[in-house]
Amino acid sequence: MLKLQNLSKTYSKGTVKAVDSVNLDIAPGEIFGFLGPYGAGKTTTIKMIVGLLKPDSGRVFINGINVWKNPIEAKSQISYVPDSPEIYDKLKGIEYLNFIADMYEIPKDIRQERMEKYLEIFNLKNAVGDIIGSYSHGMKQKLVLISALLHEPNLFILDEPMVGLDPKSSFQLKEIMRERCDEGKTVFFSTHVLEVAEKLSDRIAIINKGRIIALGTMDELRSHAEERESLEKIFLELTE
Amino acid sequence: MMKKIISLIKTDLNITYGLSALQYKFNNKRDRLQTILIAIALLSLIPTYIMIVSGLVKIYEAYIGIGQKTMFLLNGFIYAQLIVLLFGFLYVMSKYYFSNDLNVLVPLPLRPKDIVGAKFVTLMVNEYLTSLPIILPFIIIYGTRGKEGLLYWIYSFILIIFLPIIPLALASIIVMLFMKYTNIKGRKDLLRVVGYIILLIALLGFQFKIQSIAQQSVLKGEDFFLEMAQDSNVLVRKLGLVFPPSLWAALSLGNYSSVGGVFNLLLFVGTSIAVFWIMIQLSEKLFFEGLIGGLEVATTGKHKKVKIEDLSRSSLPFLSIGLKEIKILLRTPVYLLNSVLGVLILPLVMVISTTMNGKEVLGALSMLTEGNSHIVSLVGIGIITMFGVMNCVGCTTFSREGKSFWIQRVMPIKARDQIFGRILSSLFVQIIGIISLLASLAFIINIDFENIFWITTLGLLGSVAMTELGMVIDIFRPLLDWDNPQKAMKQNLNVLIAMGIGALYLGGVGFLVYKLFKTGVNILAIYGIMGLIYIISSYGLYILLKNLIIRQFSILE
Repeated sequence: MLKLQNLSKTYSKGTVKAVDSVNLDIAPGEIFGFLGPYGAGKTTTIKMIVGLLKPDSGRVFINGINVWKNPIEAKSQISYVPDSPEIYDKLKGIEYLNFIADMYEIPKDIRQERMEKYLEIFNLKNAVGDIIGSYSHGMKQKLVLISALLHEPNLFILDEPMVGLDPKSSFQLKEIMRERCDEGKTVFFSTHVLEVAEKLSDRIAIINKGRIIALGTMDELRSHAEERESLEKIFLELTE
Repeated sequence: MMKKIISLIKTDLNITYGLSALQYKFNNKRDRLQTILIAIALLSLIPTYIMIVSGLVKIYEAYIGIGQKTMFLLNGFIYAQLIVLLFGFLYVMSKYYFSNDLNVLVPLPLRPKDIVGAKFVTLMVNEYLTSLPIILPFIIIYGTRGKEGLLYWIYSFILIIFLPIIPLALASIIVMLFMKYTNIKGRKDLLRVVGYIILLIALLGFQFKIQSIAQQSVLKGEDFFLEMAQDSNVLVRKLGLVFPPSLWAALSLGNYSSVGGVFNLLLFVGTSIAVFWIMIQLSEKLFFEGLIGGLEVATTGKHKKVKIEDLSRSSLPFLSIGLKEIKILLRTPVYLLNSVLGVLILPLVMVISTTMNGKEVLGALSMLTEGNSHIVSLVGIGIITMFGVMNCVGCTTFSREGKSFWIQRVMPIKARDQIFGRILSSLFVQIIGIISLLASLAFIINIDFENIFWITTLGLLGSVAMTELGMVIDIFRPLLDWDNPQKAMKQNLNVLIAMGIGALYLGGVGFLVYKLFKTGVNILAIYGIMGLIYIISSYGLYILLKNLIIRQFSILE
């Protein structure tokens, strides 16, 4: 579903390697956790997947489509939730959702049904007639999540999704991520919270200083590390 | 406590006028250009100012003639304090209630009167900048022409120092009461638009008044100033009674050598201090309460029950983009003022200044257009086409996305839809401009259906090319990293670049049309050629824009 080949990106005129020859192959139906400390290259990698940052070298394939060669086709398969919800403050919640739905060309009856469903789940139904500028950080985050789910993407990409969410919404989001995988769709998310990655992911990649330093299921990661009890120990050992 | 307040004042002055900010501005290329432009704009005002001052000398002589010297001073104090009051409302509103530092100041262990006091002092500096250019000429003319003594100048100095206090304190009290007792607190955007409009009207009114005075003085000669001095006496006297501090100031300066002068001076200074003290005391009760909510964006209060099935609409992507652009343009004050209000007011200004110029100009105008109404159409098309770039919609369309630009980039939106949608939003503004222009024209000359038809069709066609031109510049160097929408539109260099290139383009087209018109080419052929030029340039720019969007959307970081 998602394939990264030798993906690299340098900043500051080539002096800082943010992402260094990253290779990943993620199958449909997988929840993939992308783990790493701050500044490890998680967001840079994700931005290269969704088309926000052009890689210096390497390729990104979504469902076999090269993101940087056929951006429109590739982008209609994915949706992206950034780490901070910067959206149009002057639109009303419902106007924003309709705008996003128009961009993905979702028919009226289908979008209506999905909006009902997700607004209910994330408890945003009463605020959707208000201007986004009046929302709290968490509400904006939830609105971005809903807008990202409207077109039922084959690949759902989230950058630090649990930050700023209340416990209930965070629980609901995890449920939704699970459901999507049961339907054969793929979820790719980054986090620095080990617990989230450990509980949720089918497979995990740990990135540090731009390189993938560990990749596999929880069990596989355990077998590689010397300290084998928890992801925390493995993580600390590897990123030292 | 005193230390705290002084530190607060120092910081506030530094933020507002500080050297550190100036230094930064000069190191920053974008800001440096802006500073230079502002300086040029200010310099260009000097000739008008000199004209006004030389007029004042004549008015002074007129007052001497009717033996009412002190009235001259009263004029100065009344106008200076009125202007301070007017600006005071705007300054106080933005400085006390909408400035960014409130988030930091309010949680600090400061009393409301400390904050208000410090902000008041900063505003005083602002008000000196406004009041000095008005009061100084009056005082200097009076002092030098009348060869007044040293005591006159000492009195003047004291009066000038105290001049802004009463009006500014009054403005503070009124605004604080207003903010506490009305429900307008969260409607920051509305207040801002209303404030700008009032200021604009005041400035235009002043401009026209000066213009008409200048023209009449040329027509009527020396008698005019005498007439004016006599006419204004009644008004100024009335104002002086309504607002006695100006009267006291004038009386104290007019009789500086007598006891009455000392008495009036003490009255003026004492009242200033008293009003300031009352304002500070009131601020303890009023300031915080008016503030709460001022920092928030108002919601509708109670949440309305929203029915999703009523609200979910679907439209084509380009329409949806256009609609979103229009909504944001209308709901953001800075955008509204610069785009929609700009094209709405400019034609009105043209009409007012033409009618102000008297019947002669109007007569000449109808003579010129009589029997050749195509001139009206051609000029109208030119104006509308220029509005196409002056409305700032095209040349800031990507910059306005700001930090939300990622939304446009991660979605599967075709470049074509981006272009069509954004042009649509510009044309929406243009239609408002066309209506305003046609209505204004109809007010001064006869326009017919043909005028309306050509101005609308060719004007819109020209606007497409102009909007695209702006978009080319904006996608090439979008200004995305801003936290205040001012930066995306008012402080965006792309606007200037687009206007420059747009003016050159339009100048070229205009020159060609002029030549054709002069050599007597059939007017329909001229319209045809204009249309063709617009269509070809629109298409060429469309192709360029499409490629640029695809390229820039992938390489921007």
